[in-house]
Amino acid sequence: MRTSLSLSSATSSARGKRVGYDRRAFAWLLNTPALIAIVLLSAFPIVWSAWLSLHRYNLQRPKAFRFVGLSNYGDILQSPEFWSALRITVVYTALVVVLVVVLGILIALLLNREFPGRSLVRALVLLPWAIPPVVNGLMWQWIYDAKVGALNGLLVSLGLIDQYRGWLSTPTSALLALVFSEVWSLLPLAVILLLAALQRIPSDLYEAGRLDGAGRFQLFRYITLPWLSQSLLVVLILQTMSALRAFDVIYVLTAGGPGTATTTLTWQTYLTTFDNLDFGHGNAYAWLVSLITLGLALAYFRVLYGRGDFEA
Amino acid sequence: MSTLSNGPFPSARSPSRRTTFLVIAGIAVAIYILAPFCWLLLTSFMHEHDALTVPTQWIPRHPTLEHYRMFFHPTGTSAIVGGRAAEEMLPGMVNSLIAALGTAAVNLVLGTLAGYSLARLKFRGQGALLGLYLGSRMVPGIALIVPLYLVMKDLGMLDHLSALIVTYVTFTLPFTIWLLKNYFQTIPRSLEEAALMDGCSWVQMLVKVLLPVAMPGLVSSAMFAFMTAWNDYLFAVILTSTTASKTLPVVVAGFATDVTTQRTLMATGGVLAIVPPLALAFLFQRLIVQGLTSGAVKD
Repeated sequence: MRTSLSLSSATSSARGKRVGYDRRAFAWLLNTPALIAIVLLSAFPIVWSAWLSLHRYNLQRPKAFRFVGLSNYGDILQSPEFWSALRITVVYTALVVVLVVVLGILIALLLNREFPGRSLVRALVLLPWAIPPVVNGLMWQWIYDAKVGALNGLLVSLGLIDQYRGWLSTPTSALLALVFSEVWSLLPLAVILLLAALQRIPSDLYEAGRLDGAGRFQLFRYITLPWLSQSLLVVLILQTMSALRAFDVIYVLTAGGPGTATTTLTWQTYLTTFDNLDFGHGNAYAWLVSLITLGLALAYFRVLYGRGDFEA
Repeated sequence: MSTLSNGPFPSARSPSRRTTFLVIAGIAVAIYILAPFCWLLLTSFMHEHDALTVPTQWIPRHPTLEHYRMFFHPTGTSAIVGGRAAEEMLPGMVNSLIAALGTAAVNLVLGTLAGYSLARLKFRGQGALLGLYLGSRMVPGIALIVPLYLVMKDLGMLDHLSALIVTYVTFTLPFTIWLLKNYFQTIPRSLEEAALMDGCSWVQMLVKVLLPVAMPGLVSSAMFAFMTAWNDYLFAVILTSTTASKTLPVVVAGFATDVTTQRTLMATGGVLAIVPPLALAFLFQRLIVQGLTSGAVKD
């Protein structure tokens, strides 16, 4: 078989010119199916989307399709909806990411210690990961319910509030409610990754630190945290992306309301595209979301590369 | 990891008090994780009027399986509110399973080929290729939805499960490739070299030697692909329209946003949508964690 031949020469130390050519052809051959899929269904649509974003294109008036340059972007950047959605997205993402990271570290530290029932808790922590976002939204909607919800029932019976409240009907509590449901569902991945990193820290480091008279906080600050940094960055990237993209849970839980209190950029993109059927502005919104995501991703990658612990 | 069990904390307190503290913290975490889900589960066993009482009825006083029965024998229940959604539930579950399993299977094949080449063969354009794969993952789904819809419409694939599978494959493949590449790199090359010396063809070597060793990496990437496909709502709601391809999240969201649907019926639908991924997550728990931790985060 030709392929087996080219590989055996690739893995051996022989480096003839012909061998190099074969190996390259073989490598590209192995990548062809993946490349076709990604170019056709990811790269091509994103370019098409950019093209559409430069046009006036509203499905309610399909005949008015025409090239308008960057004016869709201009409209968006001048609209109060965009800035409101951007502000809400930043607040929402920051709250979710900070809470997930802090809770994730605390739970991972706990699960790294030995105590009776630890393996059970370790298994349980995976539970939210297996719950689809739509079901997660439905579950919390039922918990937050203004008339018969479990949260109201619990808080009243504990004497913490006097009467039932509509948690999803005031702007601040609706945003917080959304944040808590998202944090609950994103936590498992953070815990798994951080726990794995904790398990790789050699225990003699702590002993040496203790001999040098370091306190608890110092041990955490100078041993645990540096060893966690790479996993923390991976967690930060993954969770920021998930929070920025949150859609299903908003759809089920708040639909962007009350008013625009939970209308993030993703939700605003959806509204523009599918409620107003304004594909021109919708795609421009989508591109702005992509650019923001890309900017954040590049910033994170710079940090990873800059630290020298990340190797592509 | 018993050697690490003392962690960063010096034993200032007595061991028994420390254990008590840890157990209490463990219970708190377990309650935080379990309580919301348990409430959904308990609701699914309640009669509607019991679920709507104030003060809240925590334990169903008259437990019933009526809602579960309704999902499995939906005929004759269409008169009941939410009956139509109940009829769509089983086909939805079958569609979801086909889409998720198909996505996972295609992912494994394409991901193994590309991941292997990136892990083992040095070639020009390698960095750019990996950049393209990871970069495509940075594009949020909402940006692709309109063009994807138009592409699928032109290909006549709207309302076909195949449209969902190819879409999910594109979204999950970058992560699969990255994870498998990293996992393959943790496996010593000598294994492959020995197999090739013994006269195995490349395909034989892959199937008989490399893949069995890479099982944790394969299982966790398949699991991730499965979960992504199973959980997706955005693409499913745009690309499907009838029970021929409607997936579970679309059915569930359909009655979750319909105010006339019974709460207890919604809860039951939610519980049923969780069962397959939950079973898989617990079944493969060890392999998933193992594959994820040596594949996604390198030492």
